[in-house]
Amino acid sequence: MFKRTMRCNRGLRLLILHMTLALIATTLALPFVWMLFTSLKRLDEVGLESWLPEVFQWHNYADVFAMKGILFGRWYWNAIYVATWVTFLQVFTSSLAAFSFARLKWRGRDTVFLLYLATMMLPGLVMMIPNYQIMINLGLVDTLSGLILPCAFSAFGTFLMRQFMLSIPQSLDEAAEIDGASKWTLFWNVILPLSRPALVTLTIFTFIGNYNSMFWPLVMMKTPARYTLPIGLMAFESSRGQQTNLLMAAVAMSVIPMILLFVFMQKQLVKGIMLGGVKG
Amino acid sequence: MRLRWSRNEIKNTTIGMVFLLPNILGFLIFTAIPLFISLFMAFTDWNLEMHNMFRSGSVKMVGFGNFIKLFTDPDFSFFLGNTLFLMLGIPFGVAGSLGAALLLNHNFKTGSRRLYWIIILTVVMTASCLMMLCVGMATSALTIIVCGVAGAAIIGGAFGGQSVYRTLFYLPSFTSGVATFILWKKLYSPENGPINNVLQPLLDYITPVAAKLSPGMAAFLAGALLVIMGIGAFLAVFRRVRLWHLGECGILGLVIGMGLLITPLLCCRLWSALSWGGYWGFAIAALGVCFAVFQLWRGRSFRSVYDYGLTDAVIIDGMFMLGLFCLLGLTNVVMAMPVEANAPGGYIAPKWLADYYWAKPALMLMGFWGAIGSNNMLLYLAGLSGISQDLYEAADIDGATPFQRFWHVTWPQLSGVTFFILIMSIMSGLQGGFETARVMTNGGPAGSTTTLAYYIYNEGFATGRLGYASAVSWTLFAMVFAVTIFNWKFGNKYTND
Repeated sequence: MFKRTMRCNRGLRLLILHMTLALIATTLALPFVWMLFTSLKRLDEVGLESWLPEVFQWHNYADVFAMKGILFGRWYWNAIYVATWVTFLQVFTSSLAAFSFARLKWRGRDTVFLLYLATMMLPGLVMMIPNYQIMINLGLVDTLSGLILPCAFSAFGTFLMRQFMLSIPQSLDEAAEIDGASKWTLFWNVILPLSRPALVTLTIFTFIGNYNSMFWPLVMMKTPARYTLPIGLMAFESSRGQQTNLLMAAVAMSVIPMILLFVFMQKQLVKGIMLGGVKG
Repeated sequence: MRLRWSRNEIKNTTIGMVFLLPNILGFLIFTAIPLFISLFMAFTDWNLEMHNMFRSGSVKMVGFGNFIKLFTDPDFSFFLGNTLFLMLGIPFGVAGSLGAALLLNHNFKTGSRRLYWIIILTVVMTASCLMMLCVGMATSALTIIVCGVAGAAIIGGAFGGQSVYRTLFYLPSFTSGVATFILWKKLYSPENGPINNVLQPLLDYITPVAAKLSPGMAAFLAGALLVIMGIGAFLAVFRRVRLWHLGECGILGLVIGMGLLITPLLCCRLWSALSWGGYWGFAIAALGVCFAVFQLWRGRSFRSVYDYGLTDAVIIDGMFMLGLFCLLGLTNVVMAMPVEANAPGGYIAPKWLADYYWAKPALMLMGFWGAIGSNNMLLYLAGLSGISQDLYEAADIDGATPFQRFWHVTWPQLSGVTFFILIMSIMSGLQGGFETARVMTNGGPAGSTTTLAYYIYNEGFATGRLGYASAVSWTLFAMVFAVTIFNWKFGNKYTND
């Protein structure tokens, strides 16, 4: 009886469910919608109540690149350059270390790993000031390498990769050893290809995190030509913030790559978050 | 421990270290060394204004001077208060993501294609009716846009099911960064931002209604709300004590639960406008405490199980606390209603980020926007899919209502995830608030959005008082560490099963 009423109401329940979800999704998406429409307005239309532009000003997007003092293309490139390098280095060093922690047996391994884990909970703020002093001493202040280097090593990445590598069957190592493979061959040809899901997750997260990162570039960068996108956007906002339409075009251009990345990569990402989060 | 290393061991350790080398080098240079320098700095008077290349005064050790200064510094406690205030948004965000996860966890597969079309057709018709209605009344492009977006979402959802909604929910937190902060700064713009553009007409509409409300009436309403609040607090305290008495809650749970419950009542006292009402709440809470003390005294011995029922105390009494805070806020609003409405101009939409009192709620609202669909939602989704279906079937056989199903099956099963999420959010909340403060408000108006993180940045990089900034950051670290210890001690039980 109970079951049957459930089934009869199924369609209605589903309808209500869809409407609720769509309502929430719409509310969450509205800021982005406003951003897109505002970026296509003329400047004198910006403050008006109507969200729609009279005529779509597509050239706003091109205008952002042509603005004086706003090196948008340059910042874009810097952000992608830094994020790519950091991602590459971090994934590489993390997976090497994770291999050592997960697949090799050596004395003191677990102690060292615990030490690594402990650093994960240190607030980055504690290290920020001395790190800046170190950068001064190394002469790396206001250079892109100064942005890349400190971020190239991550305890979290190591942790994530290790957790995944632990789940790969141990018998593979033995088989490889019998075949006479060196540890490097084992790492490069067996374990690393099998860790692809974790690699993809770590890659995306590191990339997005660094593409968005603001604190360290804000501290390090002095020359506008070497700004990354977030710092550039802040400079844009403080110097030409009145031009809301162009500012929104710039914001849209910095957000859209992330949205696209997420839409295409969402399966791997969702898996990865659960991998890192539930066990963490 | 064996001290001799066999040849094999040496070889293995060498190989292990070689693989670790690149990472550990970076770890030493950019984590370990800075850590020690920072600890050293915290005990010095290192100041870039006095110790730089032009004026080489020597850096002096000041012992605990920085820490003493910090604890007597009114700024520090003010900014700590700001940080904690902003963290009050966390439970709302967690509740939002739990709600989103519960909604997303339904089975979207209908089995029949017809149902899809029925859904879409109904929605399109409703939407077009709404549109015609609204456009007929006032030509507002906003309505059309909202309906269009909602329609697109629902069509996508009907075909794509969970993943489409999940994507839409997740976007705000995924893209969170300087770009979205700038976007929100523009949304909050007081004169012609879209939020106030919608809000102001609504407020204009309400003003004459509220103006009719006499101050006496408002005071009566506020008093009634406060009485409700007092009774709620009393019941919650009573519940906690009873649980303790039944042995379902240890002494630590009792202390933490009672502490949480009494906080809003103590805060009552701080709001001068409500002082008389505050005494009310205070009296009822005092009654509860007396009662609790009496029970404690009557209880034959202290329970040895000191951490039992802790999650319940933290989560349930935490929710009670939030409810009490909301009531308190509502009381304030009710009290102010007729006064504000009769002021010249009636209600005026808040200036959000430019207003001392509204800046923090504005940031919390933005945080809520990002928190609904964050990683927490995904964690909850994973947790929900891990709950055995048998439990629900058993609940159905017992004739449980949907609410009972949630409260007695889902919620206890998710307590591990909730605990983990809360701990993580608290840890990041303590260190948070830098980016929003720097991009949106510069810590202002009058320091109302300066969190500890922003304070450290300001002291360290703007003022150049490195020693003092390090001391603040180590104090912050101590707080985070305390939360971590709490997690280690009590979290394992809930998270590792």
